[in-house]
Amino acid sequence: MKYNIVSAPSYSLVELSLNEGESVIVEPGSMAWMDTTIKPKTEMKGGFFAGIKRKFGGESFFLNTYTAEGGSGNIGIAPGYSGDIIVRELNNETLYMERGAYLCHVGNIETSATWEGFSGMFAEGMFGLRVSGTGLLFFGSYGDVQEVEVDGSYTVDNGYAVAWEENLDYSIGRSGRSIRSFLFGDQLICRYHGSGKLWIQTRSPRNLAAWVHPFRRVKSKND
Amino acid sequence: MNVKIDTEGAFGSALVTLEAGEKFVSEAGAMYRASPNMEISVESRKKKDEGMWGALKSGIKAMFAGESFFLSTYTPNDGQAGEVGLAPTHQGEVRSVKVGPEVWICSGGSYLGSSGGITLDTQYQGLTKGMFSKEGLVFVQASGEGDLLVNGFGRISSIDVSGGITVDNGHLIAFTEGLEYTISKAGGGWISSMMSGEGLVMKFSGQGKVLVQSHDPSRLGGVLGPLLPPREG
Repeated sequence: MKYNIVSAPSYSLVELSLNEGESVIVEPGSMAWMDTTIKPKTEMKGGFFAGIKRKFGGESFFLNTYTAEGGSGNIGIAPGYSGDIIVRELNNETLYMERGAYLCHVGNIETSATWEGFSGMFAEGMFGLRVSGTGLLFFGSYGDVQEVEVDGSYTVDNGYAVAWEENLDYSIGRSGRSIRSFLFGDQLICRYHGSGKLWIQTRSPRNLAAWVHPFRRVKSKND
Repeated sequence: MNVKIDTEGAFGSALVTLEAGEKFVSEAGAMYRASPNMEISVESRKKKDEGMWGALKSGIKAMFAGESFFLSTYTPNDGQAGEVGLAPTHQGEVRSVKVGPEVWICSGGSYLGSSGGITLDTQYQGLTKGMFSKEGLVFVQASGEGDLLVNGFGRISSIDVSGGITVDNGHLIAFTEGLEYTISKAGGGWISSMMSGEGLVMKFSGQGKVLVQSHDPSRLGGVLGPLLPPREG
């Protein structure tokens, strides 16, 4: 198996070359193109309950497995948003990520939802995604993705954290203590604690949607 | 102070390192990452001597300039250096320009941030100019000394003007003070100007620099808006 990430960081896509018999597990909808030797199979990885848990984690109930049969072949995999893709070799390790960051993996890796508590509700939803095992993991997000080595603590704006290692924990807070920021500032921020790697994206889909909003037609009585 | 611009292409961002006692200002909401010792406070655009009413007036001016009502300020609070990362909403590049002795004038939506030594002031373009300019009624003038961060939708190009240049309203990011400009039709009569789709342009003359963006965000908005369900008025 060989991989190549093309057009990073703006329009990243993973090109995988699979030898006969090798397979890759892909988030549904993320396969862009593939050779005819690559055969897809859709399944509930890990059974029904694992599927349910994934669903809560913002990922799909089903996962697609693409296997090279009767010869080697290539497959191109890209996320729904334009942005960077990060490759991470897991060696019996665990990563936590925001909903929707998972792209694909090779090897023995499991994905399941984690309860992020009510604090998580103010971030990207109450559930996060737990990814653990041994293999090669690909994840990404909207915008450039930057790696930060946290030792102590680090601040990230709400909605910009992509993934973090399991030794990191986070809490949600407001920036500053002034009454002003409480009344007017929209800045809910995540504070990460511990030591480990943290990945941060540089664009927010939510901000883009908020920007587009005023361009929408105003509802009239006839609608 | 050190300003590092990350990645060329669609997803530019800036990582600013501040020494103890230094300060940086940004459009509220532009921060996406910061070291834990960074004190983040939100303040309206206020001059020292203008009091409450002045603060309100300048806040309203900023709103018309297409910026958020509030600016965020960043200062390391423990005597150590700290860092803050700033990124715009749109896909595109971020660029840092030196202010001082040159004074830069920035279109409302293109201002991302500036160092503490820069004085920001909003400028009316005059009634007729402002009415016709898509970029809003007001420009942001950055004077003093330091780094000014601007963001562009798409690619940012710098043009040295000696003589004159014509820039479509929606593509203007910033220009140096000293350049004269008029807002006018792209050419020909009113009808042919409207037919050409260019609408109104800014004609610069004199000596200086102009920063332009390859794409006009309001055109993307114009394409996406009608495709979405109508909003409440």
